[in-house]
Amino acid sequence: MILAHPEKCVACHLCEGACSFFHDGAFQPAKSRIFVHDFVDEQTYVPVTCFHCADAPCLSNCPTYAITRDADTGQVAINDDKCIGCKMCMVACPFSVIGFNEDKNVSHNCDFCGGDPQCVKICTYDALEFTDFESNDWMIRLDEAERPKAEA
Amino acid sequence: MPNGWTGKILRVNLTEGRATTEDLNMAWARQYVGGRGLGTRYLYEEMDPSADALSPENKVIFATGPLTGTYAPTGGRYMVICKSPLTDAVACSNSGGYWGPELKFAGYDMVILEGRSTNPVYLWINNDIVEFRDADHLWGKNTEESEDAIRRETDPQARISGIGVAGEKLNRFACVINDKTRAAGRSGVGAAMGSKNIKAIAVRGTGAVEVADQLRFGELVFASMQMINESPTTAKALRGMGTASTVAFANSIGMLPTNNFQKGQFELADNVSGQTIANTVLNRNKGCYSCPIGCARVTETSGETKWHGHGEGPEYETIYGLGTDCGVGELDAVLYGNYACNLYGIDTISAGGTVAVAMELAERGYIPAEDLAEIGTDLKFGNADAVIRCLEMMTTREGKFGDLLAEGGYRLAEHYGHAELFMGSKKQDFAAYDPRAAKGMGLGYATSNRGGCHMRGYSMKVEWFAPMEERLDPFAEEGKAAAIIKLQHDAAGIDSVGMCDFSAYAVPPERQVELYETCTGEETSREEWDKIGERIWNLERLFNNRAGLTRQDDSLPPRMTDEPLSGGAVQNQVVALEGMLAEYYRLRGWDNDGNPSAETLERLDIQPG
Repeated sequence: MILAHPEKCVACHLCEGACSFFHDGAFQPAKSRIFVHDFVDEQTYVPVTCFHCADAPCLSNCPTYAITRDADTGQVAINDDKCIGCKMCMVACPFSVIGFNEDKNVSHNCDFCGGDPQCVKICTYDALEFTDFESNDWMIRLDEAERPKAEA
Repeated sequence: MPNGWTGKILRVNLTEGRATTEDLNMAWARQYVGGRGLGTRYLYEEMDPSADALSPENKVIFATGPLTGTYAPTGGRYMVICKSPLTDAVACSNSGGYWGPELKFAGYDMVILEGRSTNPVYLWINNDIVEFRDADHLWGKNTEESEDAIRRETDPQARISGIGVAGEKLNRFACVINDKTRAAGRSGVGAAMGSKNIKAIAVRGTGAVEVADQLRFGELVFASMQMINESPTTAKALRGMGTASTVAFANSIGMLPTNNFQKGQFELADNVSGQTIANTVLNRNKGCYSCPIGCARVTETSGETKWHGHGEGPEYETIYGLGTDCGVGELDAVLYGNYACNLYGIDTISAGGTVAVAMELAERGYIPAEDLAEIGTDLKFGNADAVIRCLEMMTTREGKFGDLLAEGGYRLAEHYGHAELFMGSKKQDFAAYDPRAAKGMGLGYATSNRGGCHMRGYSMKVEWFAPMEERLDPFAEEGKAAAIIKLQHDAAGIDSVGMCDFSAYAVPPERQVELYETCTGEETSREEWDKIGERIWNLERLFNNRAGLTRQDDSLPPRMTDEPLSGGAVQNQVVALEGMLAEYYRLRGWDNDGNPSAETLERLDIQPG
């Protein structure tokens, strides 16, 4: 999984650039599969990407069974050939981490760039980590984002 | 679609309420690149430089570079270019944050604001849909409130660049603020915008920025990022302590302007140093778009004084402007003043310089009591209350004194009969380096096309910050002209391509050229890149000459040339400017009045027009 360490993030958005550049050959954050939420007033920056949920709402809502979850790795993947571009997955996703490719008319999520995630590679600040962390621990990750403020 | 550039600019006629898309002049793009260079080329072509800067004839150009929006390290910058209401010379103010890339994603390299709107408006650029929106309800709001309100009316992901009340009131050094905390700070670009009755430009872009050679560009980016991570300046000093890392060094040298440049060392410097900031009030770092340096200070006041607030800053220049130059050594007050300047939309450097000269005038008895009474607290060095109060007054032009403050330090000092006490050049306040401790900086300040500024010939790179074996003697005038000229050209290049100046500490011009080539597909060379920098510099000079500036304006105040400075490493130093200036003109191929010769213009392929 792509694990975010929000306390290290500086909101430079390099991850977004690297992601769209790798997948689509151009710089287009609108097509990125990772997003950095910049809460300016709260001085908190949170990178968010697909959590590959154990009980993925995108998967259960897909009318063509284009979305599957790998039993071994836990990766939730969208099959371009089966996707009809209905966007139900985007509606269903509680974290809005599914994007849509207007040119191909299919939706997309984080696919780890095939095993060498570019966002992790480019993040100078070590705010992103590629691990095999279980997805239901995202609750712990979000709690950690709150922690620096509480302790301050 | 072209690579790097989007190939489109947006022309906004505020008088008629009409926005049109035009093709980018690619011939100019190849000669001037983008950002500073390209924006200046358009300005030079399209306005009469002798027109009043606050009139509808002025044009305010928001210009990105071809690398803006790519993941080139620090590739997130844009420039605001116009005629300056402060200096009456060309203004070219640089900002980071996230607004510039968003404009590229919306499909534009540049926005040109022309004319004047009858009623307050803001511009809403939503990819290819452009709207003029009513801004009556925003007029009078600070930059934060304004951004929040505009996002509610447009798109939660919209990026916004605009003015605060200072810009509305035409404070001559009002700035443009984007993303709440980043500033196109200098030369009053915010006032030029305010004079057009436009509050902000909101932009949302979902398009793409393309590059020509994806593979090679990617390799160069990673290699450049590695250089940044291995350079102590970028990875340790800037990342660790921000620009504030310079405070302690400048103070020990004796170069830290104190009490309106009366001294070069400040006894309370430790209270406002980069280390103290990092230890006490720093919450975390922040980075502009695509930046692997991440130098921005995200801070909060200590809670132990009466000054309360949080936000971004202070930079070294702000510590000088609102701190040392006014004799203020209270960190919380400097922070508070910084946050206030962001909200009001004022340049922290010129705000500080203006208050500092006012303080010296007051202490010397040159300001009548009834004018001083308007402030409500003693206008003397070290009084933080006076600094903060003056920031309020200069924003709204409160009373006679607030009105004078808003005119800027030079005009204020002139009003009270002592213009010579203004520490600046071309009516723009100096930056945080006393040139008597670094003579090259004196030449840089005097010859800067935009007035007193450290970014137009940052001599520190060849003087105090250079390794010992390469260092030019900071106290010598010889040989400075050639070095400053080269620095001025390097800066013009970086300012035009879309990267941040700080990347240049680790990423040399050779690499910038390669990034530019692989991004745009345009072939150039190191020599050509230098020539582009020289071309930009000369074009700015032509603009200024036609605006009426002369050799007399390439000057320093008498304190710099006649009053010796001592302290730290400095012993009895003044700046001998005339010799440096003569050599500078000669090397540049200009005549004795500072006019580029016909040969020089031809060599640079500039038509005087």
